[in-house]
Amino acid sequence: MDAMGGDLGPEEVVKAAAALSIERRSGERPLHLLLVGDAPRLSALLYEIRHDAERIAIHHAKDAVAMDESPRVALDAKPDASIAVAARLCAEGRADALVSAGNTGASVLACQRYFRRLEGVRRCALAAVYPTEMRRGEKDDPFSLLLDVGATLDVTADDLCTFAVMGAGYASRVSKNARPKVALLSNGAEAGKGPKEVAEAYARLSQMSGINFIGNVEGVDIPRGSADVIVCSGFVGNVVLKMLEGVSETVVRLASYAYKEKLMWRAGLAMLSGGIGRLKELTDWKQYGGAPLLGFDRVMIKAHGRSQSHAIQNAVKVAAKTVATGMVQEIERALREIPRVDPPVSA
Amino acid sequence: MSTPSTPPSAHSSSDPSFPSGDRPTVTYIYRWDLDKTYLQTDFDSVRALLRTAIERAIDKRNVPGAATLLRELRQSTRPGETTRVCFVSGSPRQMRRVLTEKLRLDGIEFDEFILKPNLRNLLTGRFRALREQVGYKLPALLAGRAGVAHSAREICFGDDAESDAFIYSLYGDLLRGRVPRTLLEEILQRVGTYPDDAARTVALFESVYSRTQDDAAKASIAFAEDSPFRDEIVGRIFIHLDRRSPPRRFDRYGVRLVPIYNYFQAALVLHEDGRLAADAVVRVAVEMVDRHAYSLESLRNSLQDLLRRGRLSVETVRSLGAAIAEGQGEADLLPALGSLPGTRDLLRSLARSLRDLGPTAGAVPPRLSGRDAPPIDYLKALEEDLPRKRH
Repeated sequence: MDAMGGDLGPEEVVKAAAALSIERRSGERPLHLLLVGDAPRLSALLYEIRHDAERIAIHHAKDAVAMDESPRVALDAKPDASIAVAARLCAEGRADALVSAGNTGASVLACQRYFRRLEGVRRCALAAVYPTEMRRGEKDDPFSLLLDVGATLDVTADDLCTFAVMGAGYASRVSKNARPKVALLSNGAEAGKGPKEVAEAYARLSQMSGINFIGNVEGVDIPRGSADVIVCSGFVGNVVLKMLEGVSETVVRLASYAYKEKLMWRAGLAMLSGGIGRLKELTDWKQYGGAPLLGFDRVMIKAHGRSQSHAIQNAVKVAAKTVATGMVQEIERALREIPRVDPPVSA
Repeated sequence: MSTPSTPPSAHSSSDPSFPSGDRPTVTYIYRWDLDKTYLQTDFDSVRALLRTAIERAIDKRNVPGAATLLRELRQSTRPGETTRVCFVSGSPRQMRRVLTEKLRLDGIEFDEFILKPNLRNLLTGRFRALREQVGYKLPALLAGRAGVAHSAREICFGDDAESDAFIYSLYGDLLRGRVPRTLLEEILQRVGTYPDDAARTVALFESVYSRTQDDAAKASIAFAEDSPFRDEIVGRIFIHLDRRSPPRRFDRYGVRLVPIYNYFQAALVLHEDGRLAADAVVRVAVEMVDRHAYSLESLRNSLQDLLRRGRLSVETVRSLGAAIAEGQGEADLLPALGSLPGTRDLLRSLARSLRDLGPTAGAVPPRLSGRDAPPIDYLKALEEDLPRKRH
């Protein structure tokens, strides 16, 4: 756990680690947490709260990358920043997965520097889960996967095909959806719609037997849940993700406004409070547990920068589940079956 | 079982703990609570309470490492030393048979075994005494003290579920004369001790205290300057964090009291204190690995936790690691007996990681020292730490 990352500082990360250390996980291996950051500060925080010291270790890292720093400049200047040290430790096998709520660019870059890219992956992808109307998989999961949401802004058709395979691998293992429906995000359902790389990816995905490609979907299909995995460039995905977050927050604000405005509306909202609460819970990003970074031999879950303890705990649980289900191995296997066109690129 | 090797500050002729010449006989008393300290007991529901009450001795489970640590402490004596093992528990007297049978199964020899007269309290209408611990344990400890050599040093083991930290600290400070009679009376009154029990406790204190001071002072010259046993009669108090209470909660009781997550940690501190040899520490770890499936990470994390809290020195950890990792043949500290396959490798890995601890500058605080610590404010502790005892 990159303990120094996030808007809320190490306090929330330490709280999350402490809570996870005393949580009983029936039928599952206990979690061991490795906190990377300013050891004296982390130790002092831990000392104040209930935790199980048998399950928490601290690794000292003297620097940290701030949320507003330029990722490349910061990592070059601070090779011992907590995110870099955490990624190195993970690469060395000291941890099975890395979780960070810190600077997204620095987190992705640290993974690029220290993790091994899976064979066939030119660019990594950050995948985000979001709630949908339709449910899927053996667990009746209400979440779909959207990738990439910001790791790779410019993509080729090859990248989009790779993202599709990686997204399907994640959904099949982590969401227990044996044959997830994969779609490309475009401005129309027809095969030729969208920019060149999307049209080309459409043609190639249609030829791949190992993937349940259902064609293109439009923005309106995202909340409906027509597809289990939606593939797009990092630029488009990030815009979509932020818009979904904005809509969710606006709905809550409007409800709050309505509550104050009229007694009748207040009464109506009170009657609907159970349903609204459920809806809020469903659309609350804190419940999702962060976005997995796909394409490496190690698992990295990027938690939201504003994450509090609860959200970080969920991110760690997703990380543990991702490791336990063998998601990386599944993606590695699936990637071997993709026909390649684009030349490999360096990180 | 192999012969215990030398604890860091004991045994050898160049032992810094002992000035040359005559050594006074010192008795070490190990006082243990039972439930949640020695035994894994669940009192959190009526069902669990009933199950505990009817459980057979063979079905009772130990807190990992407790039995081995206790056996090792019993055996870790130097020439001229004796040990006593005493249990004072809040369990009802009706459980004596099953509890002593459990200790017999674990190979634990004890000198004192005191249980609470709950049935008598119930029948005589002393309902407060059913839950109250200070008014029961403190006189029990003082009465036990009355029967031993006055120079005897004590190490106490309790847990965070009840009032053990408070009681053991108060007991230690009473013996050192830091708590006046008037304060003791006020404490007993505040916790709701019945007047006859309070009067008996005060009488015991006065009797024990007056006889303890001279011999204790003479015995203190037998210890090294930095020994926690030099000035203290109760040299160490270990509080097993069964409820995972924040360690900060126990700061008020000073550095004599060490909150521990497991008995590997207690063994490490006792090793540094010179009360346990390296191989005894290893045997505690072996029990935890073999019988309770402790992992390398858990042991390593436990050790790092002590370092982070300044409860152990880096030098002790490194020398312990070297002693284990480099031991071979006759000198091998890893006991083959009782170790499941893999345990030896796991402990060697642990030893290597201890020996090669790496740079710790900035990451590990200096070891805590008990010198010049402020006195414990027992009335404040009573208010804040034992809320249920307020009257």
